Amino acid sequence: MTASHWESELRVHLVEAGIEAVEAVELARDAAAEAEAAGLHPDSMYGPAVAYAATLASTVRRASVTAAPLARELGAVVLRVSGVTKAYRRRQVLREVDLTLRAGEVAAIVGANGSGKSTLLNICAGLTRASSGSVERTSRIGYAPQHDGVSALLTPAEHFRLFGAVYGMSPKKSVALGTRLAAQLGWRPRKDVVASQLSGGTQQKLNVVLAELNRPDLILLDEPYQGFDQDSYLDFWDQVFRWRDGGAGVLVVTHMLHDLDRVDHVLELRPVEES
Amino acid sequence: MDASTRQHWLHGFLDLCLLALLAERRDYGRGLAERLADAGFDDVPGGTLYPALLRLEKQGFVRTEREPSVTGPPRKYYELTDLGHAAMRERRDAWQQFRAAMSTVVEGASRAPNGPGSVR
Amino acid sequence: MLLVVASTVLREISRRRVALLFILLLPLVFYLVRIDVHWQAIRFLAIGIGWAVATLSLFSHVGSRRMDERLSVVGAPPTALFFGRQLALVAVGLGVAAVYFGLVALTQSELPRLGGVALLLVTTVLIGVPLGALVSMVITRELEGALALLSVMALQLLVDPDGPMAKLLPLWSTRELSAYAIQEHGAGSLSSGLLHFVVTASICVAVAWIVSVVRLSPVRMLPPSQGGPVGADG
Repeated sequence: MTASHWESELRVHLVEAGIEAVEAVELARDAAAEAEAAGLHPDSMYGPAVAYAATLASTVRRASVTAAPLARELGAVVLRVSGVTKAYRRRQVLREVDLTLRAGEVAAIVGANGSGKSTLLNICAGLTRASSGSVERTSRIGYAPQHDGVSALLTPAEHFRLFGAVYGMSPKKSVALGTRLAAQLGWRPRKDVVASQLSGGTQQKLNVVLAELNRPDLILLDEPYQGFDQDSYLDFWDQVFRWRDGGAGVLVVTHMLHDLDRVDHVLELRPVEES
Repeated sequence: MDASTRQHWLHGFLDLCLLALLAERRDYGRGLAERLADAGFDDVPGGTLYPALLRLEKQGFVRTEREPSVTGPPRKYYELTDLGHAAMRERRDAWQQFRAAMSTVVEGASRAPNGPGSVR
Repeated sequence: MLLVVASTVLREISRRRVALLFILLLPLVFYLVRIDVHWQAIRFLAIGIGWAVATLSLFSHVGSRRMDERLSVVGAPPTALFFGRQLALVAVGLGVAAVYFGLVALTQSELPRLGGVALLLVTTVLIGVPLGALVSMVITRELEGALALLSVMALQLLVDPDGPMAKLLPLWSTRELSAYAIQEHGAGSLSSGLLHFVVTASICVAVAWIVSVVRLSPVRMLPPSQGGPVGADG
């Protein structure tokens, strides 16, 4: 492979990873120039173009996050869960759960499988009614379920238009916004690909974008990083903190304890014995 | 101990090293790599060095400039901004605290009866 | 919103080419089976169309349940979701009906009322689509729902139309209206057929709509009162 071939491959992969075309051209040209100056083939200096593109793209994304963390004030309460219990027939899934979440905070719900994490999230979303207790929440929410969050036979743009219509956005605006939000997760949606043809990780990125399309005050996410590679997982958490800095309250169901020190509340659920 | 562990160590501090080298004087990519090697580090691969420089640029610590060079294609020079100088000072202070703590713990071990030698 | 849902559903359906092909060809099988006796052929054709669009409607509603839940939770009106989907399905059904109307018009020469055939096929579609939705709400799972529809359609074909139970079957009007279309002296069937059609279609639409709204409407929650403790326990 010639050096210029490597350079154009790098450019293509950068664009696929969500970098703007103009910047991609520049980054690729710089990389090729440095290799030329060192007298090395770009492949031996940087490795395969596709891998280097992923590194560069995530560097660009992550740098803009850590650059200037905004000062945060505690905002209004966006979600209040009080004494929530949920029982199905003879099986109790949740017992006396309490949580108060404010705008500008992130809460993680952790627990083993079967501890009722998804059930609690569904109750907060409004899909299920709690057996007892109360839930108060703001009306502007975003919700990303763990499964079946996207429609297999629709393209990403069609998803954006559909959800945009719920929020009163014009089709053009919703597609433009969705595409921009996707870039923040390192993904450039293609026009002619339906959701079932996307990789699992990319489907989940679509899932996450749909949850934030209307700039909600409260974002509910149920382990949406299934199928993410390491970079995407980090990008996802960067996005969570970006939402927080932007003034939203974020509630994430997770069983990965990795980033919990950056989170404002951790709610641990334990499986309730059969009653 | 193998080279990959040392590489991991350098990864954590690479940004600070680059900030410090650039605080001394502006330089281009390969020049920085050479100075790191001279200082005693293993070779830093291009795939690590240039993303680190890009990160510094995106964070506003460094600005870049192309300059024609006598010996070949134009070179991209990196220079610290005021923000970069401030960041460098902050991180250097943090490093000095870290280094003092490391010394206490690690070099303290060599004072023990089974240690290899005496400490400074 | 309703139109966006309808166009989205149309796109979705258009991507399932094999299913669409079956929807289109199944009635043909019904038609050809009785092609020698033309009045039976048309009646069977209509029932075939009704069954095909009802099955399409059933699977469409069941398959969209999770996405509809997600949409309604963020503010989509369940009524728009229901009627948008129904509108798209009716459009597909009318397309199929148009194709077969053309077929019948070209191949059958001794029909007293060709317009009657059009009426027959249209009313069958307008019952089949909400019927599929109704079954999807009551039975909620694809296989069981499809078997239920199959049973209904089998009954429809086999039961004596003048018998006491026949009017309880949803496509009884199809039988009546096919008589109207095919028989010289079938004019009396028009009013009874139309009445049954209106009643059946209204019941199917109304019940399916109410059930879907009840199921999809998210739990009402008040915005939180401000102040109070900060923190989490569980």
